[in-house]
Amino acid sequence: MLDITKLLEEIKASPYEELVITAPHTGVVSFGSVKEGDRVIGATGTWNEIPGTPLATLQRERNDKIIRATQKGVVEKIYTELEGTFVEAGTELVRLRHFLSKEEVLSIILKKALYLFEAPERAKYYFAPEVDSKIKSSGSQSVTVHDGMELFIMSRMKREAPLNYSGPDGVIYSVYFQHNENIDSGAPLIGVCPPDQLALIEDVVVRVQTEWTEQE
Amino acid sequence: MQNTNHKVLVANRGEIAIRIMQACQKLGLGFVCVYTAEDSASGHVRMAKEHGGEKSLYRVSSYQDANELLAVADESGATAIHPGYGFFAEDYRFARRVTQRENKLIFIGPSWRIIRELGDKINTKRLARSLEVPTVPGSDRPVYDELEAEKIARQLFEFQEEQGIERPMVLVKASAGGGGMGIEEVYDIDLFKSVYRRIRSYSLRQFSDEGVLIEQRIKDFNHLEVQIVSDRTGKNPVHFGTRNCSIQSTGLQKRLEIAPGFDPSSINYTFDAQKVLDDITEYSLAMARKVGYDNVGTWEWIVTRDGRPFLMEVNTRIQVENGVSAMISRVNGQAGVDLIAEQIRVGLGEPLGYTQDAVTFEGVGIEYRLIAENPEMKFTPWVGRIEDFGWDKHEWLQMHTHVPTDVAYDIPTEFDPNLALAIIWGKDLSEVKKHGKEFLDELRLTGRNQGEESLKSNVNFLRIKTDEILKF
Repeated sequence: MLDITKLLEEIKASPYEELVITAPHTGVVSFGSVKEGDRVIGATGTWNEIPGTPLATLQRERNDKIIRATQKGVVEKIYTELEGTFVEAGTELVRLRHFLSKEEVLSIILKKALYLFEAPERAKYYFAPEVDSKIKSSGSQSVTVHDGMELFIMSRMKREAPLNYSGPDGVIYSVYFQHNENIDSGAPLIGVCPPDQLALIEDVVVRVQTEWTEQE
Repeated sequence: MQNTNHKVLVANRGEIAIRIMQACQKLGLGFVCVYTAEDSASGHVRMAKEHGGEKSLYRVSSYQDANELLAVADESGATAIHPGYGFFAEDYRFARRVTQRENKLIFIGPSWRIIRELGDKINTKRLARSLEVPTVPGSDRPVYDELEAEKIARQLFEFQEEQGIERPMVLVKASAGGGGMGIEEVYDIDLFKSVYRRIRSYSLRQFSDEGVLIEQRIKDFNHLEVQIVSDRTGKNPVHFGTRNCSIQSTGLQKRLEIAPGFDPSSINYTFDAQKVLDDITEYSLAMARKVGYDNVGTWEWIVTRDGRPFLMEVNTRIQVENGVSAMISRVNGQAGVDLIAEQIRVGLGEPLGYTQDAVTFEGVGIEYRLIAENPEMKFTPWVGRIEDFGWDKHEWLQMHTHVPTDVAYDIPTEFDPNLALAIIWGKDLSEVKKHGKEFLDELRLTGRNQGEESLKSNVNFLRIKTDEILKF
């Protein structure tokens, strides 16, 4: 049986995660005015239309790309030794200490409570067309899955193959993948809530909503 | 090479990146390589680390981002870009940008105007017709309109009926795709529309592009190629013979290539095969002269059962199978021809330095594309870890691979599943077949995936097909 109180206490003891901001592509990096210890925020607004705090600028082919904070947090480390140098894609630029939001705490606990159906191989995944249209119109929780059901299209090396769901019957409570993103083998694709677990899951949601205080 | 004061950016990955670096070494040129995170364990990265020196290897976000390549070129002091095959090789906009930007670089390939001219399939056909070169019908570019697609399909059915094909068929392909999926065969024009729509939606999902190609059936034809090389004057094209690329996977991807294109000395054809080879070579050279072709390129032909050639298209780049032509070619009687080195040399402005008379041919060559795939399951790629990969050395064998042979290698899922190119030589057809089978029998290629399934490859398929080569 899932001990929600214990899980919440564990997360409260360490209520943040380390975020590493890397160079999305090559270019000459400059860090501007941001300093270690500064508080930063990620994109906000209904459609994330308000950009996050600028952390660095990458200049490539005369174009500036502003690298922004992806989440709310505190700047823990800036790799200032890279200032003015040409960096490769994937180079670490800034480290943030990000305080977990309610949604993130909920997601952590749900991953322990739900049945996770995992990617069998590193590939891109899509929902089968009829499931996809149902999710788009009514949300993932409108879809009930059952063992053996053709649920996904698995795509790698530009070739597609159907993938059947295996596991307990239930509704798709969480979706952990995005279109056109490679998912590693063993990473969860969906979290399924069996009918007899629904009360427990709802309890998790209420507890996190009421007991978790987001740090500013 | 007279002017070795050049540094070449290798804008590609895997086997071709290694071949380009080796050619640069041979010519005394510097090079710089790029790689993406998924390719960290590839042999091309290792070679750049071991032989490239300072500023010779950069991690980029994508091989298909022109800004990445140009930024690395500037940072590393590159003076030229070799696009390899695929990616930017036939992108005239990229070639133009490379040569016209403020910090101008040399594009090692044909001039951008020629890539544009021959990349436009309608234009190629117009040019071919003006020289009385026969061409094959089909969609000349990605089709986005359903009515247009249907019209082309009808034309293709009619063309095949005229050719006496018993069961005409057209292929519907995702334009941006490749590798077997996103291709369907249509035998009945009434079913065309539904297949077209299915492929269009696949293409949109996979490539964010709805372009679909409607193509001629290849199976009942032989697929031949003519290898052309010409320097920047554009006036002296020479050919390096013909290739036969008719042995393909179900997805019509080449698996085995042979040079020359036919072998009338040991096989009886129902038509004058030597005349076909001579004709397509002459037609290709005539077109190359007409456009002032100024680098390496391949003229692709189909030859019908009654021995009539039709031009399909011109590939304005080095092709995967370049090595098999080089294997049987001699320049001034010398073996060891390297078409990639020739491409770089003329690309950087050196004159070719010889005429057609200096190019001769000896024996027969086979190129095997070794691929982790399951021929019994429509050539579905096999993904997993290669644990043992090795082969015996022979003077008649060249192996080109980016797969390490001393450590295990996880096949990245982001790219095509090609593992290696094995190029075999024999003094005649029967000897090259014998050598080919000997190589395949000696080859060690094993591995496992996470489901403990053992590696699947096309080795058996290649072995079986070796018996059929050049028969028509």
